[in-house]
Amino acid sequence: MGDKDMFGKTRKRNRMVKQNADIDNLCDDTYEPIPQTIEAVKARLNEVFSECSDFMHREIVCGEDGSIRMLVAYINGFIDKRVLNQDVVRPILDYFSNTKLNDKKNPIYEQLKECVVNNNDMKEAENLQQAVDNIVSGEALLFIDGEDRALVIGVKAPQGRQVAEPDTEVSIRGAREGFVENLLTNTTLIRKRIKNQNLKLEMMQLGEQTKTDICICYIKGIANEEIVKEVRDRLKKIKIDAILDSGYIEQFIADSRLSLFPTVGNSEKCDKLAGKLLEGRVAIFCDGTPYVLTAPYLFIESLQASDDYYDHAFFATFMRLLRLLALLISNILPGMYVALVGFHHTVIPFKLMITLAASRQGIPFSPFTEAVLMIVAFELLREAGVRMPRPIGQSLSIVGAIVLGEASVAAGISSNLMVIIVAITAVCSFVVPPLIRATMLLRFVFLAAANFLGFLGISFVFVTVFIHLCRLRSFGVPYMAPFSPLTASDLKDSMVVVPIWAMVTRPRILRQENTKGAAGVKRQEVHLKR
Amino acid sequence: MRYRKDKCAVKIAILAVLSIALLLLTGCWNNRDLTEINMVTALGVDRSEDGKVLVTVQVVEPAAIQSTASGKGKGGGAQAKPVFVESYEGETVFDALRSMLSIVDKKLFLSTTQVLILGERLSKNGINEVLDFFQRYHEVEYKMDVLVARDVTPKDILKMETDIDPIPAVYIKGTIENTVSRAKAKRTMLLDLIKDMENRGRQLAIGQVTKAGEKEVRTEGTAVFSDGKLAGWLDPYETRGYLFAAGKVESTIVNIPADNGKISMEIMQSKGKVNAEFENGEPAMLSVQVELEANVGEYEAKGKLDSPDDLHRLEGILGEEVKREIRVALDRAQKDYSSDIFGFGTQVHKYHPEYWKKVKDDWNDTFSKLPVDIKVDARIGRTGVIKGPIKKDG
Repeated sequence: MGDKDMFGKTRKRNRMVKQNADIDNLCDDTYEPIPQTIEAVKARLNEVFSECSDFMHREIVCGEDGSIRMLVAYINGFIDKRVLNQDVVRPILDYFSNTKLNDKKNPIYEQLKECVVNNNDMKEAENLQQAVDNIVSGEALLFIDGEDRALVIGVKAPQGRQVAEPDTEVSIRGAREGFVENLLTNTTLIRKRIKNQNLKLEMMQLGEQTKTDICICYIKGIANEEIVKEVRDRLKKIKIDAILDSGYIEQFIADSRLSLFPTVGNSEKCDKLAGKLLEGRVAIFCDGTPYVLTAPYLFIESLQASDDYYDHAFFATFMRLLRLLALLISNILPGMYVALVGFHHTVIPFKLMITLAASRQGIPFSPFTEAVLMIVAFELLREAGVRMPRPIGQSLSIVGAIVLGEASVAAGISSNLMVIIVAITAVCSFVVPPLIRATMLLRFVFLAAANFLGFLGISFVFVTVFIHLCRLRSFGVPYMAPFSPLTASDLKDSMVVVPIWAMVTRPRILRQENTKGAAGVKRQEVHLKR
Repeated sequence: MRYRKDKCAVKIAILAVLSIALLLLTGCWNNRDLTEINMVTALGVDRSEDGKVLVTVQVVEPAAIQSTASGKGKGGGAQAKPVFVESYEGETVFDALRSMLSIVDKKLFLSTTQVLILGERLSKNGINEVLDFFQRYHEVEYKMDVLVARDVTPKDILKMETDIDPIPAVYIKGTIENTVSRAKAKRTMLLDLIKDMENRGRQLAIGQVTKAGEKEVRTEGTAVFSDGKLAGWLDPYETRGYLFAAGKVESTIVNIPADNGKISMEIMQSKGKVNAEFENGEPAMLSVQVELEANVGEYEAKGKLDSPDDLHRLEGILGEEVKREIRVALDRAQKDYSSDIFGFGTQVHKYHPEYWKKVKDDWNDTFSKLPVDIKVDARIGRTGVIKGPIKKDG
């Protein structure tokens, strides 16, 4: 219910934004033709790109009597000028220097397209809007006097940084290549790994103002068509001014917008993404960000790492279990401590109880307050560490270690044990990166429940969260699959990882056939039937 | 649509109210910090001369324990005492414990209690009444050890400061564990006590505690009860005889005179079984069967241990020795105290329920008069690292 209301409001706001944008937009007539004379084109473009200092155009005059006139228009810095000169301008000058204009058999436009321009990447712009769109997306436009069409020549200069190892997802074994900001580089990286014509890349543009390139990527024949269609539909519904990061898209297409748990995955690693595609998932590339989205995203994926498949299966299984344990610890450990110290004295062994009571002696705060203080202090340090310039990071960690660890205990603000507990919790929370944000908030919920009702409160919250997880779906696939619903053949890559030679079938849950039904009608209620 | 939404909201509200009620009505939940409770390590219960209950508590001070353990004193001055002991008189145990709050600072927390010491006067008057509190109260640790103080009041034992462990209760518990592994005391946890309290087929037998010196206690011997009242005591050796018969010996050392010297046999395993044999619907004889396995622990004698025959001979002597101990214990229980602590009655109850119904109220008398047949099957497994004693003249 709440979701839908939220949805409605967002829509409305976007629509209003769109109207405002239309008033600003100079080229609101989509079908305005390209003027036939170069002078008119120049005048119109100058009008459109007034106050755009990076807009450049050059008039080329050639032919025997100077009667062949053309106009090259582009955004400075966006295109490779050397390529433009070598592949376009020079051939034109060479070819047309002795040609007369009135060669009716073969118009200049066709000649240009077929035998003059050296560049392979050529399109046509049929109206002014298209021409302007292409100019702002970094193409060079060639207008010819007397034609109502323009040639779009792809001479975009390579932008952005080199392919490098991603900082966020580090693996001990496996490819070091990570995605970059450039969409084409990213799709190439994937194509390099999956050399198959069935790897489909569907382009679209999102963002009223930014016109960001988005690419839906999947492997035809492996990915479920219904899911691909659903992804496509959800993307088409997005109405927003700007897409600055794939995170924007993620928030729009996620199944449950208010859930703490991610229902759309993201990755920066090429090999990981290739693996996801081969399992039948759909990837969404977004220009300008190295984070590529994957859908559907299931709970179990949070516990998977690409190393699991490169390494021995026993080791991988152990790591999976360890990650699950870490996830549990990072959620409920502070709550457990508060419940034990506050309510369930009877279950603490005698000797531990003496230690506990001794460490609590003289602490002015209740265990709950103490835990909240310490956790908030830790989160502050963590956030500061993320935001601040790298070189200062070291001094921060020293301050953190001394203040949190030593001084607060010495000053009698917190107990030794609480420092240990917060430290273990913090360490564990980094073990399962996709769920860090969910864990961070849930930890406080567990704490509050523990302070209120002890273990009973913890179990209550736990059950509630579990029910939520079981109810959650990602693009129609149950979030807790393969556990709920139990899909026996998919258990091979869940808590237990079988060796790669034994993983003979693809995940079944992603490939449920006969999925016709509500898909695409109400995105909240997509149920893939068995 | 609007209507449906309202209905849904009402449903959610009802659900929320119900679940909150569900959570809050589950019992007495109160958030109490560890620093707001007095952890009781030992409890003493005795009866005063005018019939009131005298409760003594030993409460631990965690901070003091921590500082003695880590060796960090609070910079000169008197070291804080690790425990304090308080007594209070009341009509009942509960009354005394609650009234005691007038002289101590924090709530008394009983789950940490390690030992419960019952006074001699209380035991003689009967312990069943005071045990009710320990079954009824929710914060009681059922695994606490129960002891009966002999020739000394529980208060004196709990007040004693010992150098061995900062917490006297932990020290006492440690000695019980040792004594039990020597089979010189019967370990009785509160749980056992409650189980056998109303069992007419097996009388209560509780370990005993006495003062061994200014700073030491000794937990050897057993207090024998008859119908909830203290009937008398078994000394450590009688206790072991009793434990052999009851099958509760884990390990112990039995010294036997043999080969012109002494041999210490270490009992490694022992199984004991009691039974009542019936003839014509009446019990004719009680029987005790013990199977045990022993190692030669020390051989201070002048014989040989080389052949199996030597060992068989020793097995016979060991069997006789154990038999004698059991006999002594049985004699005490039958003749002096007339209390069936061995549990013959339970066997009767199990296999001859009809007969049991008739005699259960005066089973102790019947028990006292029956002859007992004792069979001990001793086996010697190992002789240690060496066989016979090493001889100087080769």
